[in-house]
Amino acid sequence: MWENTVSKFAKKTLFYILITSLIIIILTPLYFLVSLSFLSSREAYQFPLPLVPAISSEFKLEKGDKGYMLSIYEKGDREYQTMIDTKDMEKMSTYMRLQLSVDVSTEKLENYISKLDQQNEVYFKSYKGLLHNYKTFFAITRDAVPALIRSLQVAGLTILISLSIGGMAGYAFARYIFIGKNALKVSVLFVRVFPAVAIAMPMVIILATIGFYDKPIGLSLVYSVGTIALTIWITASIFLGIPVELEEAAQIFGATKLRTFITITAPLALPGLAACAMYAFIGAWNETVSAIILTQFNPTFAVVVYQSVLGATDQVNLAAAGGILMALPMVLFTLFIRKYINQMWGGVTA
Amino acid sequence: MTEIIIHPSNLLKGVSTINLSSLKKNKNWTPYLLIAPTVIYYIFFWLNPVIASIYSSFKGVDGSFTLQNYITVFTTTSFGEAFGNTAFIAGISIVIEFFFALALALLINKKFKGSAIFLFIAMIPMAIPAVGAAAIWKTGLTAHGWMNSLLYYLGFLAKGEKLLFLSGSKFSILWLVIIIDTWQVIPSMMIILLAGLQNLSKEAKEAGYIFGGNGLTVLRQITIPMLKPTIITAVILRLISAIQIWLIVVMLFGFDRIPLLLERVIYYKEELPRLDNSYQIASTYAVITSVIVTIAAVVYLKVSGAFDISKKEVM
Repeated sequence: MWENTVSKFAKKTLFYILITSLIIIILTPLYFLVSLSFLSSREAYQFPLPLVPAISSEFKLEKGDKGYMLSIYEKGDREYQTMIDTKDMEKMSTYMRLQLSVDVSTEKLENYISKLDQQNEVYFKSYKGLLHNYKTFFAITRDAVPALIRSLQVAGLTILISLSIGGMAGYAFARYIFIGKNALKVSVLFVRVFPAVAIAMPMVIILATIGFYDKPIGLSLVYSVGTIALTIWITASIFLGIPVELEEAAQIFGATKLRTFITITAPLALPGLAACAMYAFIGAWNETVSAIILTQFNPTFAVVVYQSVLGATDQVNLAAAGGILMALPMVLFTLFIRKYINQMWGGVTA
Repeated sequence: MTEIIIHPSNLLKGVSTINLSSLKKNKNWTPYLLIAPTVIYYIFFWLNPVIASIYSSFKGVDGSFTLQNYITVFTTTSFGEAFGNTAFIAGISIVIEFFFALALALLINKKFKGSAIFLFIAMIPMAIPAVGAAAIWKTGLTAHGWMNSLLYYLGFLAKGEKLLFLSGSKFSILWLVIIIDTWQVIPSMMIILLAGLQNLSKEAKEAGYIFGGNGLTVLRQITIPMLKPTIITAVILRLISAIQIWLIVVMLFGFDRIPLLLERVIYYKEELPRLDNSYQIASTYAVITSVIVTIAAVVYLKVSGAFDISKKEVM
């Protein structure tokens, strides 16, 4: 009896140790990306990197050889380290903003310096602008805001195209027998085998002839190729789950087929359709390769982040901010669609 | 890349286990009208570019039909490298990911306190876009990156000591890519398998125990065979996207360092556009990659017996 309880307890402990280590392995890289995106440029160059980004910094001002000397308190070494020695307060303020992510106006600095007449050193504390890297990312990456808007447009159009076209076919799959059904079923999955890049390259010319090259609609037409296939599969299984009898009943009462679909079938299928829309959104938001090929002057947000990460060997904190900006909508999205995904997987439950 | 997952039982439900009595069997033009947009769409935006790709892979610089592009590709050393690297990464990562995911799914296969939160956390890596993942590992694997910092804090590295992840030998880089890929894929694959396990009937398993099976035989003879459709879906989706790996590698190591099949396509298209035939070579690589993906998918489906399953279900 006693032994039984002990072994049960040991099993339970082992189980939770497993779960906890999995969570740690999954979250550690994510944690560091978030943490890195809050570091000032100076912190990002330290090794080892600080585990937790500092919220505030303590400074010391004193007279130096060239003018005034600014030092920052180093928590690891427990001593002040000289950062800059200058007479130019404008320069000192800019330095603090760019390197330390701290906003201190020149007036404030001059105010501190006036105190140096009475004392040798002035100490002050300043809060770090935590969103500094994010602001810088948008400031130095030309095109980031319009690219963000374009990405949303592309995603919206992809949802529209794949839901309307794929939804219709999904309904046909669920409700009718027709010639070529099986062939279509297989070919719909086969489209994923041909790499997206290989589709995108000739699409440059095809889209150019219809005037959609380098436009959100052009990209969404390409993205819909993959999402239509998925939408057909998902919607087919959703419509299959809605009893035909309901539709027949509506038609007996005189409703047209279209009206039946709009008033009876569509509302019942809504959660599944929402999930399809979200898959389409994820696909369109994340896609990078075709976007690189199919845009020239109007890149999507993924392309902008791709370029900044690729070129950011010396600005890791900015690359991290870009990565977070790219990933955050998707993570929030997953939180939101969790329910639907679980439904489709047959209820791993939440 | 975000894996998009549907539960296989739903997937098959949609087409094969149809309730025949409820279907409208009369000769009706409605279904054709409903599928027409899809068919037209695919002809225009899939078949059209696919044919264009194949066409330009057989087109010489002067516009005539030629096999020269294929000869060029197959005789350059980078093709062998690209093929080898891709096969190595795809082969090993799929095996590792599948077995880890299956083991974890079997261990976790129950509701527990906090399972909802755990599942959400496990979904996060697959929601991270390729570009985001690249940002994670690019900031992590540089000499001053967070990985070395973490190892230092944990006491694995002495002060001043750093591991140079990104400048190791080719072999160690390939393994690094596999590990990175595993981080992103195992959780999502685990969730698919977990979902499949939850759908299995408990009675079959109990019967197995009643007839004297131990844990291992029940697992091998009852659980795994019943889970087969789920496993096939999970592996086939993974297989298709594993062979198409390139973005994370290029973002970490740049072009031409670790040639991959798809990396070659982008390399010729975007990085070497000055060659007379770079577009044709890129198309040739794209066509070759599709053929390889198709062969791998068909071979896998054949070996795993997926064709038998779907035949049975259609009957």
